[in-house]
Amino acid sequence: MRRLLNVSRIQLINIPVVFGLPLLVLGLAFLANLAIFAMISDSAQQGEPASGAIMSIYFVLLSVHLQTMTQFFPFAAGLSVTRRTFFGATTLVVLGQSLVYGTLLTLLKLVESGTDGWGMGLRFFGLPFLVQDNPLLQLLIYTAPFLLLSFIGVWVGIVFKRWGQPGVYTVVISVGLLAVLFAFLITWREWWASVGAFFVEQPPLALLFAYPLGLAAVFAAAGYLTIRRAIP
Amino acid sequence: MTVAGMSGVSKRYGDTVALDDVSLGFTENRIHGLLGRNGAGKTTIMQILTGQNFETSGNVKVFGEHPYENDRVLRDVCFIKESQKYPDMFAVHHALTAASLVYDNWDAELAEELVEEFALPLKRRIRKLSRGQMSTVGIIIGLASRAPLTFFDEPYLGLDAVARHRFYDRLLADYAEHPRTIVLSTHLIDEISDLIEHVTLVDKGRVLLDEDTDKLRASAVTVTGPARAVEEFAANHTELQREQLGGFLRVTLSGALPERTPEDLHVEPVSLQQLVVQTTRQATGEQTFVGAANDKETHS
Repeated sequence: MRRLLNVSRIQLINIPVVFGLPLLVLGLAFLANLAIFAMISDSAQQGEPASGAIMSIYFVLLSVHLQTMTQFFPFAAGLSVTRRTFFGATTLVVLGQSLVYGTLLTLLKLVESGTDGWGMGLRFFGLPFLVQDNPLLQLLIYTAPFLLLSFIGVWVGIVFKRWGQPGVYTVVISVGLLAVLFAFLITWREWWASVGAFFVEQPPLALLFAYPLGLAAVFAAAGYLTIRRAIP
Repeated sequence: MTVAGMSGVSKRYGDTVALDDVSLGFTENRIHGLLGRNGAGKTTIMQILTGQNFETSGNVKVFGEHPYENDRVLRDVCFIKESQKYPDMFAVHHALTAASLVYDNWDAELAEELVEEFALPLKRRIRKLSRGQMSTVGIIIGLASRAPLTFFDEPYLGLDAVARHRFYDRLLADYAEHPRTIVLSTHLIDEISDLIEHVTLVDKGRVLLDEDTDKLRASAVTVTGPARAVEEFAANHTELQREQLGGFLRVTLSGALPERTPEDLHVEPVSLQQLVVQTTRQATGEQTFVGAANDKETHS
């Protein structure tokens, strides 16, 4: 356990970058939104403006953990850290980081609703479909997608380590093909209405917490199996 | 006692054979030289012994167990390689902190001393270092980790002769105080021939030599002198190499230094480098003659 924590600390040695970079991107996106909505609020006042820029922090985390595998894994392996220990340490970091960011977003959302959308009715953190009354549920809904995107990053990073660019292309193309295939299947069988209904009928907790969490677990398992034979 | 070893290990990548039935062992608390040409299989051997790569077949044992995914074994192993990658955002001090977190015997004082001695800028990002400075980071980690089993795989890239000798001196001094098993993989054989106590020579994925350095040195001599006298002397010995220059002949003979030598002959122990070169050549069935007139090498 001590070794696991120590290896986690290796990933956090440069914590300003690991933790700070996603926050910096989110902060910039937020400031940009504030500026834009402050400018247009006079001319275009229809309903409450909402922004999707909060997604930026989720995707930054994906790229951060992609680099965890392409850059930290070869380094840690060079210090005789086993793949298993490294993966466990990464999982600890991902869990902690997701929870911290989830808490932060929950708090910021509270501030947002408390200040009437930063004084201009802007909904940056509390996107309509995300809002929960219960702060704990809100926390879960903010946190789970962090886990999902982090483990996608982890897995793609390991795929890159093991099979290089061709491996990553294969994954991307396969996912694209599958998506097209699904879309084709759904169109052909005229399932679009039921697919839409499915998403509408799902409680937000399932859609934004349970499914992302389940998918995160799938990517984590795939990552673990892929790293077992990776050569650093 | 053998600390790390393999027997009958082969490694294939598709049709390419990287290691072919390799058996070797590194004895406790000695400095070993793992020698061989580029592409001979040195790095693959070390990767397999440190659990970073996988053997296709054969047995591997490090501290009595297989090293793959074995924390018990690997926490006592340090493998410094020329091609070591560092995270882009890491400065020198980040890498040293990381090493201090995983090696139980880490000596922070020694690391600090070495940083000063090699004039390494602690705050500079590693990717911005010169090639030699980057090698120094590895060398410092390798020495200060004091791992019971330490591999140095061509650790000196980009270092000048002075810095390399500083490394050898430091290695020897620290080894004397804290005996451990050290494996030095290199092709600068002359430079380390006084350092290493045991030689393992590999070529094309096979082990050609696995012998104590002293024994090796005693295993061959070069005899120089007038051609006829040398021929006479060499008649009862196995000849390893011959170079002729005018009326003078130099041959390398297997066997120990004789107690008495004819006066007109000059007999000296063969250097490790010569021995390695000749053994490798012999193994590849390549015979070399040095042209009589102008030292031009011709291969037959």
